[in-house]
Amino acid sequence: MATVNTRVFFSKTDRAKYISHLDLYGVFQRAVRKSGLEAWYTEGLSPRLYLQFMLPLSLGQEGLREAVDFRLLEEIPFEETEKRLSEALPYDIRVIEAAKPVMKNTDIAYAEYEISGELDYERFSEFCGRPSIITEKKTKKGVSEVDLKPNIHALEISDKITLRLPAGNDFNINPTLLLGAFEREFGKISGVKIIRTRFFNSNGEVFR
Amino acid sequence: MYRNQETMKKLESFLLDVEKPARYIGGEPGSICKDKENVDIRFAFAFPDTYEIGMSHLGMKILYALKNSVPNYWCERCFMPLSDMREKMLENGIELYGLESLDPIREFDFIGFTIQYEMCYTNILEMLRLAGLPVLAKERTALTPIVMGGGPCVCNAEPLADFFDLFAIGEGEELNLEIMRLMEQCKREKCTKAEFLRRAAQIEGVYVPSLYDVSYNSDGTVSSISPRDGAPAKVRKRIIRDLDKSFYPENFVVPFVDIVHNRAVEEVMRGCIRGCRFCQAGFIYRPLREKSMETVMYQTKTLCENTGYDEASLSSLSTSDFTDIEELLCGLNQLTKKNRVNLSLPSLRIDRFSEKILTEISSVKRSGLTFAPEAGTQRMRDVINKNITEEDVLNSVKIAFEGGYTAIKLYFMFGLPTETDEDIIGIYELAKAVVEQFYQNPNRQKGKAPSVSISLSMFIPKPFTPFEFEPQISGEEMNRRVKLLLDVRKDRKISISYSDSRLALMEAVFARGDRRVGKAIYTAWKNGCVMDGWNDCFDFEKWKEAFEECGLSMEFYANRRRGYDETAPWSVLDMMVSKEFLISENERAHRFEPTPNCREKCSGCGVSDCPIHTVSKKD
Repeated sequence: MATVNTRVFFSKTDRAKYISHLDLYGVFQRAVRKSGLEAWYTEGLSPRLYLQFMLPLSLGQEGLREAVDFRLLEEIPFEETEKRLSEALPYDIRVIEAAKPVMKNTDIAYAEYEISGELDYERFSEFCGRPSIITEKKTKKGVSEVDLKPNIHALEISDKITLRLPAGNDFNINPTLLLGAFEREFGKISGVKIIRTRFFNSNGEVFR
Repeated sequence: MYRNQETMKKLESFLLDVEKPARYIGGEPGSICKDKENVDIRFAFAFPDTYEIGMSHLGMKILYALKNSVPNYWCERCFMPLSDMREKMLENGIELYGLESLDPIREFDFIGFTIQYEMCYTNILEMLRLAGLPVLAKERTALTPIVMGGGPCVCNAEPLADFFDLFAIGEGEELNLEIMRLMEQCKREKCTKAEFLRRAAQIEGVYVPSLYDVSYNSDGTVSSISPRDGAPAKVRKRIIRDLDKSFYPENFVVPFVDIVHNRAVEEVMRGCIRGCRFCQAGFIYRPLREKSMETVMYQTKTLCENTGYDEASLSSLSTSDFTDIEELLCGLNQLTKKNRVNLSLPSLRIDRFSEKILTEISSVKRSGLTFAPEAGTQRMRDVINKNITEEDVLNSVKIAFEGGYTAIKLYFMFGLPTETDEDIIGIYELAKAVVEQFYQNPNRQKGKAPSVSISLSMFIPKPFTPFEFEPQISGEEMNRRVKLLLDVRKDRKISISYSDSRLALMEAVFARGDRRVGKAIYTAWKNGCVMDGWNDCFDFEKWKEAFEECGLSMEFYANRRRGYDETAPWSVLDMMVSKEFLISENERAHRFEPTPNCREKCSGCGVSDCPIHTVSKKD
């Protein structure tokens, strides 16, 4: 059956930041069902609504331009998809845009974050300026050491921290690693707020 | 959208440190927020157990939507936080709050607990403490919040009498709104709490425990219960006569986290025709009332569309007793196929189980099926009036095995009145016959073995059942009977699970306790008892100490045969089923005589205007 690949960009903020990645599938699945959009189900013994989320967002982090792919069984204007899905989603998950996917989800190479909290930004800036920032990173294979320094891109520090970190299924750096390394030296930061603002491909183009 | 910013800010500072924070923050689809300025009455619907359990409860869904359907009433939800959250709340000075507004429930007009099982009693006290309120009703002197209780446990509310201002007896749809309207009026008139309660007691179905004086005989039994200030001598439960015309939610609050029953629930009937003598629900929810097929189909469809759920369950005490169950399942077929909704029927009776029902419910998940023979021998099943035969059981499992099921769960009760060792061994014999049934199926999958699990629960005598007079057997005897069953079990395809006998004793004490038991609940809670229904929290030693400290005997409440002429602590309540009927049913039980179900023959249980009774008279 001909299906229409659809990519929905959405924000996940406020109370929705406490929805785990695992639970997010159910939230979207019910929203699609509520919206009346005819979407494609996987085939086989127990069919389920096909929903492909881009990289998981950590519990407690907010996202301004997260993305999910699914397939529609009918050709309808993207505005219609946006409207119907928006109405069906919880208040704190908003549809930014529905569109035909341009890049492959594996094209994602970086994510941009905005970080704020009760911390000395100047000190943080100095910290990030060090020649190397070695920390431990948990991977599927176990704990390994990683130098964060070469992985920090496009760092800007004002009344908040903006930076890009490697993102993807193969290699991903969570900003909590960097914050954790800083905290170990300078003590716990309270009121930390982490927002993932958007994704980029390896050429630095915004993920579409 | 309104929310309490102060609470929100405090919560944000630690919420990521607690398990499953989405349970504590609200904002779920279907949750209702209102503008505080336009709200006159605020109600906190409190469920004294975890979010996952409370959010699965149908009564809350109905009453939540109902109250919020009134523009100037706002009902919010509130659950028992787990210990990590409780600690954080106390540390950060957060009082128990409503999940919608995040406002402290102390500021509300009502805190209404639904009380579904006995082992949540200390949670109620803990929730009141977390709310910043005195747990004793007499120490809460302001008009609001009124702490009220409803649900099956309040048909003996006496152990909780010290903590509650009023109890709502019976079905809540009309009653809740009447109580809220009275509060609206009393707030306008600036009434005292005493005046509110005095007036509330005049509403049918409202039991205000402080308006009744209880005296006791020298043997410890209740001597008299005397009403004061015009309170009625008998409080009659409320029922909804016509379920088709009664309010039913068109949408549920759909949680973010997975809960126990995460699905659309359509209530198809209230009451039950069966009259199993141990089953409190079978008596206190009489008479049987059914929704029409059209209503069920419309409401199921609407709920699925509005919630987005892909599973719907047809709920009642015995869904296969729905008059046109097969026709209904066919009617729902279109919905289930076209919209990919799975149907589940949680309470199937063995003797009403058919291939047709099986195909309708087994569209996707083909894992296990559960049946409840309740007892192992025919004699025992006659005593409890579970009118099914071994043949019924074996027929049903035959259909199930032929339908591809390999795992069967069988529910049994033990410690029943008149039970002998033969009845216990009969449980194992029946399970063995079920296993044999599997091998008699010529089309069984070769190399596959069936798995039969026996789930044993301890019999707990409950008020308003024919067994309310019966003693519970002692803990030692319970353990002996379990061991007997474990010892006769040879076949490893049969597994046996059973519950904690000490928990069963506590339940029996609370179920038929009087007002004095409240002291022990208070003491145990003060000494740290909470979440007693959870094995890892239940501390029997502390409970024993609490009862000793209060000079009360658990055995007096649990293990004593009660005379037919004894004044029961709950006798102020009228659940429509007459005591004469309960006595005659108790006598029949001791003569091993079953009683026909309500459709076969009316047994004159005392319920007036019973719809079944009226129909059969017309015939």
